[in-house]
Amino acid sequence: MIVVNELAAVALLCIGLYAVLTKRNLVKIVMGLSLMEASTYLMLLSFGYRAHSTAPVLLNPPAGQTPQQLATGNVADPMLQNVCLTAIVIGVAVTGVFLAVVVRLAQHYGTVDSDKVRTLRG
Amino acid sequence: MSTAGLASLLPLPVVAPLLGSVAAPLVARRSGRLALIVGTAALAASTVVLALLAPDVYAGRVLSHFMGHWTPVGGAALGVAFSADAWGLTYALAASAVGAVILVATLSQQADLADKEVGGLTALFLLLDAGLIGVGLTADLINLFVWFEVAALASYALTAFFLERPPALEAAFKILVLTTIAGFAVFLGAALLYVNHGATNFGQLHTALAGHPTTPDRIAFGLLVAGFGTKAGLVPFHGWLPDAHSAAPGSVSALFSGLMVGLGVVATARIAFGVFSPEATGPILGVLMTVGVVSALGGALYALFQDDLKRLLAYDTISQMGVLVVGLATHEASGLAGSAYHLVNHALFKSLLFLCAGAIVHRRGLTRLSEMGSLGRESPWLAGAFVVGVAAIAGVPPFDGYVSVGLIHHALMESGQPVVLGLMIVAQTLTIAALGRAAWLAFFRRRHEPLEGPEPLRAGMSVALVVLSAACLVSGAVPGILLHRVAGPAAGALLDPASSARAALGAAVRIIAPSLSFDYFDPKELALVALTLVAAVPLARLAMAVPEDGLVGRMREAVQTGSVNDYAAYLIGGLTAVVAALALR
Repeated sequence: MIVVNELAAVALLCIGLYAVLTKRNLVKIVMGLSLMEASTYLMLLSFGYRAHSTAPVLLNPPAGQTPQQLATGNVADPMLQNVCLTAIVIGVAVTGVFLAVVVRLAQHYGTVDSDKVRTLRG
Repeated sequence: MSTAGLASLLPLPVVAPLLGSVAAPLVARRSGRLALIVGTAALAASTVVLALLAPDVYAGRVLSHFMGHWTPVGGAALGVAFSADAWGLTYALAASAVGAVILVATLSQQADLADKEVGGLTALFLLLDAGLIGVGLTADLINLFVWFEVAALASYALTAFFLERPPALEAAFKILVLTTIAGFAVFLGAALLYVNHGATNFGQLHTALAGHPTTPDRIAFGLLVAGFGTKAGLVPFHGWLPDAHSAAPGSVSALFSGLMVGLGVVATARIAFGVFSPEATGPILGVLMTVGVVSALGGALYALFQDDLKRLLAYDTISQMGVLVVGLATHEASGLAGSAYHLVNHALFKSLLFLCAGAIVHRRGLTRLSEMGSLGRESPWLAGAFVVGVAAIAGVPPFDGYVSVGLIHHALMESGQPVVLGLMIVAQTLTIAALGRAAWLAFFRRRHEPLEGPEPLRAGMSVALVVLSAACLVSGAVPGILLHRVAGPAAGALLDPASSARAALGAAVRIIAPSLSFDYFDPKELALVALTLVAAVPLARLAMAVPEDGLVGRMREAVQTGSVNDYAAYLIGGLTAVVAALALR
């Protein structure tokens, strides 16, 4: 765990949330969500970090270490890195869908103001 | 077949629709009808495989399979586990069987689409259904997140399916924002649990959490409950639901409302009772009870004064999900069994009602109740199907809602919560009034100006309506079989997390279903139904007398403002409250 990284992740999350809750520009809302998403990645990767650890790669170990030592020794958690990769892939797909919808909305409503894009209410 | 042989079939119910979703757009190049056949065959295959597992699972066994045969070593799961217990299997079966019926209706209703569009629609439909079946079967937290996202991605595209209609795009944007935030919550919650316990398998997590969960565990719990609550459309996480349901094509709303929102409830029950346990986490039952009662009342109230038929049904979905969660929150055998039963019933009657709404759009192009009327005269079969759906929700015997709602009422009585019981009866009365009003305005009210000749119903549509109506009747008419063979074992699986946990790590277990009884001709229960029906009449009349754009309308719009910022704020507020209630008890 790296405290600075976690604080940075929380700060990023709050900035993203601020954008989602207060900005009426649809593109800015999407940007806010992307920031929140990035903050979860940073958070997870720093969760998986251990002090003075090496990458969880067993081939070509650093000088003086055997793969055996690495496997039982101090490596960063590969599982969280893996999950992050999965989430990044999902995130890219979602952002693509998001932006496509915003483009279409802008074409149909002639605006990207969330306060004018609310025909469905009540 | 041996138990191990049966268990190795577990990935198939998910694989079949996934394969179908790849094949459908390809065969649609040849003909749209072929895509329909491929899609229906894929879901039928899932249903058959799940039905093969059903006798063993409902007898109390839990079948587990580890992907790639990476079986656990020393109590630590290496491969992703699929584990079919009665609770998950019930949902998976409903998702595949009802999904197949809705798919037939979808594609016959959308027959005027181009072949390419039919292929795309089928692919998305199957992708969403695969996600739902996966949620029912998985026993791994990260895998659960993946299925959640699969279903979410497909639902975004389905909401925006009518790309040329502005409201569909608007609804798609709202469902995107809210579900994405819910996805973050689930993701962070799952990661926090993994960081603290080094496990994602439900069984391993349950063992690790058996003592006293720490504060980070409780925060993770809150995040997961809020995330899945959003998918279930519970108040205050519900902002996306009415919009998405009213903008999507009629039979896609049937899929959303009948099956997809159930995902949230199924996963919440798994997390709350299978991974965590109510004894160790204290306020979870209170949180679920509060959210459930508010959703049941709020949804019903909004449905009562609603003019758009599909929005009305969508608000009723919020209300019914509240009823389901109240059943879970009793944590009594009869309440949990009632929830499992009601989950199936809701899939049946809400799909039926949304298909009816879709059929009205198809025949007449009408969506608002104030423009309808006399539709019963020209389409008595449609009116009959709608009335069956309304009677099922209203809990009129012999239709299916009577037993499931009755069980939840019993559980509230047994656990000594008369106030909640009273509120549930109020919600039930409001629901009956809302749907009764809808049936009256659409089908039976005399309309003066005549309409042009209606578009005939397509065959697939009629078949789906008949099948679902019959299922509503059968599900209510044989309560003994369903109660003891299906709902009872499902409740047993939730009440015995220790056995489920061992099963998720590959051990052979046998879960004993709690003994349940439901007196079908209990005079008190029958009197209650009669009372709610009678009380609903003046309420419905009142709702019809209220002008659409008056004070009530303005009050409705003061909460459901339509602004995505407001809906996100409700979600974040609810999330903060749930996390706070669970973390700082």
